Amino acid sequence: MDLFFQQIFNGIMMGSTYAVVALGLTLVYGILHIPNFAHGHLYMLGAYVSFFAITSHGLGFWAAMAVSVAVLALLGIVVERVVYRPLKDQPHINSFISAIGALMILETWVIVTWGPQAQRIPNPYPGAVELLGITMTQQRLLLIVSAMVLIILLQIFIKKTTPGTAIEAVAQNREGAMLVGINVDRIFSLTFAISTGTAAIAATLVAPIFMISPAMGALLGMKAFVIVILGGLGSIPGAIVGGYFLGIVEALGGGYISADYKDVIAFGALLLILAVKPNGLFGKEVA
Amino acid sequence: MAVKFIREKWFYLLLLAVSLALPLVITDRYIFQIIIMSMVFSIATLSMNLILGYTGQASLAHAGFFAIGAYGLGIMTKAGLSFWLALPAASLLSALVGFIIGLPTLRTRGSYFAIVTLCFGVIVYIVIGNLVEITGGQTGLLGIPLPQLGGLVFNTHKSQYYLVLAFLLLTLFVMHRLVYSLLGLGFMSVRNNEALAESLGINTFATKIISFMTANFFAGMAGGIYASLMGSISPSVASFSHTFFWLVYLMLGGVATLAGPIIGAFAIPVLMEYLQFLQEYRLIIFGALLIIIIMYFPRGLMGGINSLRDKLSKAYKLRKTGGKDGITANK
Amino acid sequence: MKRVYSILAFLILGLALVAAGCGSKKDEKPAAAGGDKPKEVVLGYTGPLSGPAAEYGQDCFNGLEMAVNDINNAGGFTVGGKKHVFKLEKLDDMADPTNAVNNARRFLNQYKSKVIFNPVFTTTAPMMQINQEKGNEFLIMAYTSTPKAVQMNNSLVVAVPPPFTTYVHALADMAVSQGWKNIAMVVTLGAYGDEWRKAFKEHWESKGGKITADRPANYYTETNFSTQLTAVLATKPDALLIGGPSAPTGLVIEQARGLGFKGGFILVDQAKMEYIDKVVLKGITLMENTMGVAATTQTPLAGSVAFTKKYNDLHKKVATSEVTLNYCSVHALARAMEAAGTVEDPVAIRAAFPKAFPMLGDKFPAEYFGINDKGRMMVMPSVQLIKDGKYSPTVFYAYWPKNEEEFNKVKTETKMTGGTIKYLRVTE
Repeated sequence: MDLFFQQIFNGIMMGSTYAVVALGLTLVYGILHIPNFAHGHLYMLGAYVSFFAITSHGLGFWAAMAVSVAVLALLGIVVERVVYRPLKDQPHINSFISAIGALMILETWVIVTWGPQAQRIPNPYPGAVELLGITMTQQRLLLIVSAMVLIILLQIFIKKTTPGTAIEAVAQNREGAMLVGINVDRIFSLTFAISTGTAAIAATLVAPIFMISPAMGALLGMKAFVIVILGGLGSIPGAIVGGYFLGIVEALGGGYISADYKDVIAFGALLLILAVKPNGLFGKEVA
Repeated sequence: MAVKFIREKWFYLLLLAVSLALPLVITDRYIFQIIIMSMVFSIATLSMNLILGYTGQASLAHAGFFAIGAYGLGIMTKAGLSFWLALPAASLLSALVGFIIGLPTLRTRGSYFAIVTLCFGVIVYIVIGNLVEITGGQTGLLGIPLPQLGGLVFNTHKSQYYLVLAFLLLTLFVMHRLVYSLLGLGFMSVRNNEALAESLGINTFATKIISFMTANFFAGMAGGIYASLMGSISPSVASFSHTFFWLVYLMLGGVATLAGPIIGAFAIPVLMEYLQFLQEYRLIIFGALLIIIIMYFPRGLMGGINSLRDKLSKAYKLRKTGGKDGITANK
Repeated sequence: MKRVYSILAFLILGLALVAAGCGSKKDEKPAAAGGDKPKEVVLGYTGPLSGPAAEYGQDCFNGLEMAVNDINNAGGFTVGGKKHVFKLEKLDDMADPTNAVNNARRFLNQYKSKVIFNPVFTTTAPMMQINQEKGNEFLIMAYTSTPKAVQMNNSLVVAVPPPFTTYVHALADMAVSQGWKNIAMVVTLGAYGDEWRKAFKEHWESKGGKITADRPANYYTETNFSTQLTAVLATKPDALLIGGPSAPTGLVIEQARGLGFKGGFILVDQAKMEYIDKVVLKGITLMENTMGVAATTQTPLAGSVAFTKKYNDLHKKVATSEVTLNYCSVHALARAMEAAGTVEDPVAIRAAFPKAFPMLGDKFPAEYFGINDKGRMMVMPSVQLIKDGKYSPTVFYAYWPKNEEEFNKVKTETKMTGGTIKYLRVTE
């Protein structure tokens, strides 16, 4: 039974990352209808910015995270302007191809700057905790708790604040939002900044536990897409539940069935579900 | 008739003759290596063009189907089957898998389809790497025999060149017939407006399936040729960086043209061979190219050339007719 | 039909361009030296210099480059009464087979090199398909430890490192001496990892040990190993067989300790203890009871001590065995060329290789005692255990001697200044 709970814990930990990253993606993909396929790579860059801040400028862990969030939010705005906005009125697939261009640039840029090898951020909280027969490190616990706090804060932001409701308004009816005086372009920038900023937080939290590498975002980005599609396009609860669910399923599948095929689970599930419901589980249409 | 044919097409016949005579002039094996591989990847890019360019469905599982063809051929020829039987069989296998995968995925649209196919490509990669007994795992298949015809083994560059040239011309021929047929018009109407095509009585789903299967047939064929010429393959043939490269070739050369994919598949690898010192930066260049092309030249090099030619011929006609329509010509 | 022709036109224009372009580059071949200037011999290196394996590819190249510089600075080598020096050219193949074959052709035709170095088996294999073509022969210096490399009956391949199976035997031997019985495996996925797991499992079980679990993980793409580790630790093993590239291997050690594991670790030969110690974990506290390829920094050879220091001064990096063995391979090549009396004929050079040895530890960072008829250069695998907070003495294993007598010859030849040497016959 210990084994089972340990795997569940592992799953929740990975799931926290998935949930935060998918949440950011569902904002831009689900609400703005931009298939930001470079999302995983922006997440990766977030980890590198933190790494850079810590190792080159001697910043503390939390200060580095703040820097990373700021840089990535800014970069998010730039990416939206440069890569996606000129293609706003064209078929989705053009944005998708443009995104592939963007992710090639991001990944290579990181390789050229920091080298292809994996890097480490020193672990700020290395101690271990024993709880109910499960061994866990403090940093892992921190990741889980921080992810939950972040998710709750985002919910409050979107539901209770003016800019948050403006995002929802744009999501529901772009022309309508424009008519009541909402600056849609600004909302696009804001949403992108939030999306990439939260990815930077997730990346920085994960970085000390694992290593960071230029390839760390590619698979994660794809999985985030799977979660967003299965959880329902633009559905925030869908992204959160889907993220945790995938984390746990992968941990159990990898632990009990086959670690070799662990990554197939997410992609296989997507294939199967779309076979039954071509518009995803909660079926919103995309053009 | 024959005389007229020669008089009108002398330029192209000359080019055909040059391409046939090329191995007599050039002997450098390194150059041939690049030419041959570019021709193989031209076939792959042409097939991607069919589903992505003409039918408007961004299939990003292309390297996966390329790999299915490569492994199919490798396994069959190693079991003793002749190349000439194994190649169509491997291509058919690829098309068949395409059919099975197409049934669920082609009902999705736009970026959903791109993501699902990308996921399928990753699955192929993982499965190939793990089926150690069949595929040799990550080590891959070694010792795949070269193609043979009667007593002739295709072990020289000349013979390999002609072999691949023949397959490339075959692919071009089929693509040309397909694109300019009624079916091809169906492909394009699906691309331009699926709902409208449906209302006109076109079975859009069947149209997409046919396009997808044909594309995967040729992707598998390219993979099969690749495997037999290289002699050994590993799961990296299924890596999505292949798909991305072909996408760049296609977009740069000109999507939904027949010459575009070939130009792309030649221009970029040749460029990259010269710019070895830029190796590190080459994906930055590719990425930037991709973004610039999709924004400013969505029809690529060939699209640009075609519209230029159209303009020129229009201007020429106008001059002949006295330039009554000069304002539009200047547009 | 017009379109088909215009396509054809472009196709052929393209071909012509390639031809014209590449042709003009042909003249770039190394200037043939006249007078008493030493003649230049071009060596080619194709390997991953970008992409995920770039660090490995660069390490291998650094070893070769240092050897070339050392040889040239010492005045070169003498073939047919004439001084020769090496010129090392590198091309990136990103570990992609197509690129590797392109590069090999390019070396052969444009740089006129007859010897090509390559450090990745999946790219060496397709090169082995073309290196015996009549009139276009070239020698492949392969840095690959898989036995498959020498089983393909290619007469123009020289394999530089010891076969990994010798490490399987050596580490199993050491593990038995620690009293370990139950071993669980979390080894990297990949060609190399697949072979390692298979070989270790067979060997360990034949020695009466038990493999309690086998959960490979992708060390190249993953950094979270807790799923696999949790599963294998539940089987209560004495030790874990782990490894892949060094950096993630260090992470596995850390994560296993984080899950409360107190047993030992056996590292596959790709993972380097000195790298994990110095770069990843910054110390060996977590590495108690870890065994693996002996740290080059600890090798009891005068040549190794001098070399690792020099390398560290130059590159500010730890010289792993990729560096030292590749370094030795260039020296072996130079000696083989001297013995063959030619720098042009790969067949003769390969045939003269046995005369290049022995290369011993007073001058070289590793000791090579010969080359077998399949093309494997013979160097003793060395392993080491971290115990009581420090590295224990290195143990060398002579794997090729057919009998005690041959083994005694190795024992008298070696210039080892410490450590122990054991006889453990392994055939590829």
